Amino acid sequence: MIMKKNSLILLFSLVSTILLGQQKDSDTTYEKKVLDQVEIEFLSSYYEQDGKHGAVGGGLGSEKIQDVTPTLVVNIPIGNNGVLTVDSGISAYTSASSSNINPFYSANSSGEYDEDDDKYEDDDDKSSKGNVPNTYSGASTSGNLSGGPIGTPWYASSGASRKDVLTYVSINYSESSEDRNRIVSTNLYASNEYDYNSLGLGAGIVGLFNQKNTEFGVKAKAFFDQWKPIYPTELHEYGKYGSNFLNSGYFNNVNVLDQRGNNTSTYYPSKFKEWTSSNRNSYTASLDFSQILSKRAQILFNLDFVYQHGMLSTPYHRIYFNDVPKHYIGLSEFIPVYETNQNAGVFRLADDIERLPSSRIKIPFGTRLNIYASDVLAVRTFYRYYYDNWGVTSHTASVELPFRISDSFVFTPSARFYSQLQADYFKPYGMHSSKDTFYTSDYDLSGFTSTQFGFGVSYKDIFTQFKVLGFGLKNADFRFQHYYRSDGLNAIIYGLSLKFIQN
Amino acid sequence: MKSYYKILLIIVLLNVTSCTVLKEYEKVYINDELIALGPKSLERFEMNFQIYREAAAGGNGGKTGGGCGCN
Repeated sequence: MIMKKNSLILLFSLVSTILLGQQKDSDTTYEKKVLDQVEIEFLSSYYEQDGKHGAVGGGLGSEKIQDVTPTLVVNIPIGNNGVLTVDSGISAYTSASSSNINPFYSANSSGEYDEDDDKYEDDDDKSSKGNVPNTYSGASTSGNLSGGPIGTPWYASSGASRKDVLTYVSINYSESSEDRNRIVSTNLYASNEYDYNSLGLGAGIVGLFNQKNTEFGVKAKAFFDQWKPIYPTELHEYGKYGSNFLNSGYFNNVNVLDQRGNNTSTYYPSKFKEWTSSNRNSYTASLDFSQILSKRAQILFNLDFVYQHGMLSTPYHRIYFNDVPKHYIGLSEFIPVYETNQNAGVFRLADDIERLPSSRIKIPFGTRLNIYASDVLAVRTFYRYYYDNWGVTSHTASVELPFRISDSFVFTPSARFYSQLQADYFKPYGMHSSKDTFYTSDYDLSGFTSTQFGFGVSYKDIFTQFKVLGFGLKNADFRFQHYYRSDGLNAIIYGLSLKFIQN
Repeated sequence: MKSYYKILLIIVLLNVTSCTVLKEYEKVYINDELIALGPKSLERFEMNFQIYREAAAGGNGGKTGGGCGCN
């Protein structure tokens, strides 16, 4: 409902701004425009990753993700001085890790589970058929094989949470002064996922000085986000039925196993409490300063100050404590190999979910130095130092070497290096104490280094000879990058963009 | 601490004032997109996944909020 309302406001803003802009157009047509024609850019990417530290499995298990992101960006000239940019797209993904919010499946249906109507719980039904691993077929009859549910953090479950679509729209309007020495801009943003909504707004001003050799910019942004928390199945049931949960709902007639594989009724995740407030707000202030250093070199400094407040934890990231007994659902024979990918049939029940402080301050400082080394070769460099009050500091350095192959083609190899210290609240799988206040086993907050290598190919046609529906192709870009993180996570990403201008 | 900031300010001012002031017709290389100071539009996807897979965000003209980044 909120999203529909937000969408209507955004649509109304878009239409009214375009209409006002067209009226202005008819009045003044002799001055040089900031943007001459409508530009349309189609962008898309394919991303794939895999690793062995799934946060939903408490820092253990598959991290397989595939993500496709078709995107459309339209730049519309408004009068002589204004540009309206409408940026919209989707991010459609499948995730093995989040599929294991409910990891359990069974070869034998045992009836109803949940009367809730959300899509995650519909698939929490014990009768749901997972993509049963091949190794499962040889399993013995111990544990819950006789009709009971089984699961593993090392394979994707078939639950609805294995996939989702993020839809977003961002509208930006910028207006330049007549002398082009001032640019003011405003921005609206809205996005929607199944369990997460975001609404953002921002404004900025840029001043050009020193015959446009020096530039100062100030920006402010605010995002008002809202979780619709979804909890791991076992904790959801505990939250719903309380002390009798092992005889109710999902757990009714399901065997819970101890570390030795014996049936037990001692599982009681008493630290778990559902979130009562699910807002997450982010406020950012940015300062930019750039300077032309010579005919062939320029530099940029960027300082951000970010303050986040609210529910900064992810409600379905499991936590396992080292000072409470372990409990499982599934096949007992896999308990000894639980922490390896040989585990094809048992899932450890969570002791709690990730708990992180309700506020975070982030201060990144970045600088870019770009140099035209020769008539065909440029050097683009970037360095960033990052600090936050959760104990993370990081360094990022990257270099790109755009090489002009011809008037139309540029080939750009690139490399990026990153290192970070772990957050104060991070510990690996099963290492947290139940006495701790804050804890996470999300390896995105661990200490690691990462490297990224790749290349891009750009095509530019200043005559826009290739035409589609009255628009000529101005640019085509392709990028490929390979990312490796020192904890074993691997990722690749392909990107393609086609930019057309109105003829 | 105050003197530290003064020194930093002096360095920045010296840097700015010592630079050549280019006329528009001298900015052939500067205006070339090969050394544009912002990231290319296609880099947005890489910056997004980096924000998800790393704790750091911002300082590069990219996203600093909005969306859970939880997968």
